Amino acid sequence: MFKKILIANRGEIACRVIKTARKMGIKTVAVYSEADKEAMHVALADEAVCIGPAASKESYLVMDKIIAACKQTGAEAVHPGYGFLSENAVFSRRLEEEGVKFIGPKHYSSSKMGDKIESKKLALEAKVNTIPGYNDAISGPEEAVKIAQGIGYPVMIKASAGGGGKGLRVAFNDKEAFEGFSSCVNEAKNAFGDDRVFIEKYVLEPRHIEFQVLGDSHGNYVYLNERDCSIQRRHQKVIEEAPSPFIDPATRKAMGEQAVALARAVNYESAGTVEFVVGSDKSFYFLEMNTRLQVEHPVTEFITGLDLVELMIRVAAGEKLPITQADVKLDGWSMECRINAEDPFRGFLPSTGRLVKFQPPAEVPGQVRVDTGVYEGGEISMYYDSMIAKLIVHGKDRAEAIQRMREGLNAFYIRGVSSSIPFQAALMQHPRFCGGNFHTGFIPEEYPKGFIAEEVPHEDFGFLAAVAAFARRKYIDRAVQISNQARGLGRKVGTDWTVLIGNDKFPLKLTTVQDGTSTSYLVEMEGRSYLLASNWRFGDPLFTGTCNGQPICLQIERIGLVFRIAHNGVICKATVMTTRAAELLALMPVKAAPDLSKFLLSPMPGLLREVAVKVGQEVKAGEKLAVIEAMKMENILKADQDCKVKKVEAAAGESLSVDQVIIEFE
Amino acid sequence: MHDIIQQLENKRGLARLGGGQKRIDSQHKKGKLTARERIELLLDPESFEEWDMFKEHRCTDFGMEADKTPGDGVVTGYGTVNGRVVFVFSQDFTVFGGSLSETHAEKICKIMDHAIKVGAPVIGLNDSGGARIQEGVASLGGYADVFQRNVMASGVVPQISMIMGPCAGGAVYSPSMTDFIFMVKDSSYMFVTGPEVVKTVTHEEVTAEELGGAVTHTTKSGVADLAFENDVEALMMLRRLIGFLPSNNREKPPVVPPFDPTDRIDHSLDTLVPANPNMPYNMKELIIKVVDDGDFFELQPDYAKNIVIGFARMDGTTIGVVANQPLVLAGCLDIKSSIKAARFVRFCDAFNIPVVTFVDVPGFMPGTTQEYGGIIKHGAKLLYAYAECTVPKITVITRKAYGGAYDVMSSKHLRGDVNFAWPSAEIAVMGPKGAVEIIFRDEKGDPAKLAEREAEYKAKFANPFVAGARGFIDDVIQPHETRKRICRSLAMLKEKKLENPWRKHGNIPL
Repeated sequence: MFKKILIANRGEIACRVIKTARKMGIKTVAVYSEADKEAMHVALADEAVCIGPAASKESYLVMDKIIAACKQTGAEAVHPGYGFLSENAVFSRRLEEEGVKFIGPKHYSSSKMGDKIESKKLALEAKVNTIPGYNDAISGPEEAVKIAQGIGYPVMIKASAGGGGKGLRVAFNDKEAFEGFSSCVNEAKNAFGDDRVFIEKYVLEPRHIEFQVLGDSHGNYVYLNERDCSIQRRHQKVIEEAPSPFIDPATRKAMGEQAVALARAVNYESAGTVEFVVGSDKSFYFLEMNTRLQVEHPVTEFITGLDLVELMIRVAAGEKLPITQADVKLDGWSMECRINAEDPFRGFLPSTGRLVKFQPPAEVPGQVRVDTGVYEGGEISMYYDSMIAKLIVHGKDRAEAIQRMREGLNAFYIRGVSSSIPFQAALMQHPRFCGGNFHTGFIPEEYPKGFIAEEVPHEDFGFLAAVAAFARRKYIDRAVQISNQARGLGRKVGTDWTVLIGNDKFPLKLTTVQDGTSTSYLVEMEGRSYLLASNWRFGDPLFTGTCNGQPICLQIERIGLVFRIAHNGVICKATVMTTRAAELLALMPVKAAPDLSKFLLSPMPGLLREVAVKVGQEVKAGEKLAVIEAMKMENILKADQDCKVKKVEAAAGESLSVDQVIIEFE
Repeated sequence: MHDIIQQLENKRGLARLGGGQKRIDSQHKKGKLTARERIELLLDPESFEEWDMFKEHRCTDFGMEADKTPGDGVVTGYGTVNGRVVFVFSQDFTVFGGSLSETHAEKICKIMDHAIKVGAPVIGLNDSGGARIQEGVASLGGYADVFQRNVMASGVVPQISMIMGPCAGGAVYSPSMTDFIFMVKDSSYMFVTGPEVVKTVTHEEVTAEELGGAVTHTTKSGVADLAFENDVEALMMLRRLIGFLPSNNREKPPVVPPFDPTDRIDHSLDTLVPANPNMPYNMKELIIKVVDDGDFFELQPDYAKNIVIGFARMDGTTIGVVANQPLVLAGCLDIKSSIKAARFVRFCDAFNIPVVTFVDVPGFMPGTTQEYGGIIKHGAKLLYAYAECTVPKITVITRKAYGGAYDVMSSKHLRGDVNFAWPSAEIAVMGPKGAVEIIFRDEKGDPAKLAEREAEYKAKFANPFVAGARGFIDDVIQPHETRKRICRSLAMLKEKKLENPWRKHGNIPL
């Protein structure tokens, strides 16, 4: 076994690999860019080597630097994680030449699978179902139409070198096929410098289901069952689960065996993933093989009880797979949410900056797992992937897994940058998702206008009102214990309250219930009552406890008079008032939103370093507009609201006075 | 006897109705509550004891003798806020437009006198059209009587003004001398002369809201401390402010049962200060992570944002926080921020509230605007305030403490009790670049050499040890233990006794 390995990656996956290596008694070497000096993976590793500037093409993607780091530290093998150099056959070959083991497939396997056309040919030979299609060079649009007719519409025209939705067209008739072919060729040429395209059957209501396979250098192969990754937003996976709610044992076996056949066909020695598209009739077709460890591998680990990274390391060290297909378990249900630093309420715009608060839910062996590479106080840099954590849960069945995911998301507290959590929490409530009734078009179908906070339903706003009343009462109970009171003039706290959430009013009665030494609060409102018990502490953003005996977890923050509550994807503001105060509040005018300013004015005298927007550009609130240097400090001016730039009145390098107009908006 | 009680009830009923239902409705239509409704929200339920409900004006000119309303346009008395006594007057706009008559002023003076005597805060809810013109100089005398009491009460009991309607002309000078001014957006304004006069004299066209609304005074003039959306929010937040204040200058600040552990550490603070000294960071994150429950009651948040002031609690007890804000103007001191912080420090000093100062200051703001505006005298206000201050003073230097501004910001030399520095602190006369350009001006033509000198200077002075070697810093602390160290220091300083020499009063550079 290796004594020391290097992890040619960053973020959560680097940390995850280090954990397994440590468990196996292997020393670890991290590599990092200058932007990652303070990153978690650097702190976790036994050694760390700086490999250059922040941009990944100058650091994490530079093979020479990583090979040099191996030499410098004496690392015997390299785990590439995912992304970066993980599927680069040149990299694995070069490592091999340098006498460093690559913890991944041999370069011949990955290079064969890296090309979409070649991989399809291989699949055909291995008797793996492939989508009916045409894989040879196509002479022109006329031939494309003929081929499309032969396959039967709808068809998909796709760049051979494409990926992530780039260079992809769907055609439902001859005209679309004709036009789609031409534009696809152009796009492919421009985007990838490779104008080869192919045409294949387009599967309606497709599911993205992939099989984890594992091979060793002794010719042993197993499949570790499937993962369903159909919940995608713009081809980015949002939620993954294992098993798939759609697959029956017979299909599973058929697909798994084909996956293994393909792995065998390329002498695959490591962990890999065979992706299939599955139609609504359960017909399945091979898509591509990912020759690396996948982001979503933990769901497979949960249902099989295996450590995939450990197996990858063992296989790379020449060991035999310790299991056969008969040993592979499918235990319960697992689900993963990719927690991204992005704002679901603003078109999933990436969010960067300081992680002022980062508090993932507690890990519970066999139930809740959090893979992350960031920490509270860390910086989310603009240079890398926006994924900051993965929340993975496991339950005895899908319902339990969903419930655990809801609880996990409710307890996941992030501030400073926005996160995808509210969106995923809302998905966990969506009846179609909960019913397992979805395909890759689910998100565009259900959220055609994007994710709108006000449209997230909640089964019981009364419950949220009750929690707000509880919190307010806690503050009052402390306030009435303040020192220096006049004897005999103590405040009597009433029982009648009104909670306002949006335009809804929740009149309620709040009383304390003494049970031994612990105090609970009974909140009664029309037709329902909530007995709340919690050790919630002032300022704690997490409110955990029980409601009518059931465990609850939600997020609550006091901002002025308002409690901001987040629960199951809903974010609302609740104001708790005495009934009288609520009556008086009703007399207060409803104010129109303030007039949106049309200008960006310089808030200070200084040097305009940068104007970050152009005339005609649409800007979202929070985006950078300009940078002013004053007192040798850079001050970033951000948009207060969504707007469109009408005119840029000042140029970079200009000296600004206070209130000088920099940008005019439409 | 029965008659008298009947009469009493009638009179009470009349007084409660103020200017009558019509005017009450009109008050509501303007988005304002009535004087009594406001008191109801401000005080603990059923705690209000009203005085002088039957007081009536004595004016006999212009037919006023026939126009009398019991109470005369102001509701006065005392009540409690969470069981602590406060005196309150609430002007009733429905009665003669809330105008101030001689008797109206007498009512206010009466409760102020009592407040000073018993040591309880005075809260004024202002909603008044101004002087009762029919009374002439008697009304003006009334104003002056109130002013005099404002000054006598200043530094003895907290005085808080809530502007909830018009407050113009001489009337502004009573709130202006109180400790805090809150305003309600869109329904209140304060100015010495109104838009019409402004137009005649300076030909400026300006609305009342622009001239003296809540937004103006909390962003441009700094006259008001906080602006609120409506009466209800304003009054409920006012209750919260009162919870931070001692009732008088002989009392220690109030304590609430603490739940936040005093030894709570927060490792995220270790990465708060960026490696690049020119990169800003948000000082409020430090404040929020250090104080009890993350609960910081900020004052003047939208004015002179380069300095942050407000109240918080440590281990249940009120503290005043003053902090440079590197996010705005690099946190430098200028005229506005010096005045803002100076007045706050003096309030804390007057009312025994310990001052915790977080320092990241690159110096005083340069420029003609500042010099012509008198930064010398205004900057000196903050210096004076800190130097005069005898309450416990704890200082944490997070990064820059340059030049005279270092001295000003609660330094050891100004009797700072406990002065901490983070490892990232740089205590020096100025930043390395500027310093090198002066010391080595001969080498100005040689950028390489200058860079070398700069690095040298940086290595020598860009750390807390030079100041530490002289005892100007008591200890260098890890950012994550900041709360713990401040709490311990506050506990140690609880019984601090320090007196300035006797004098009639000092002469702060006004």
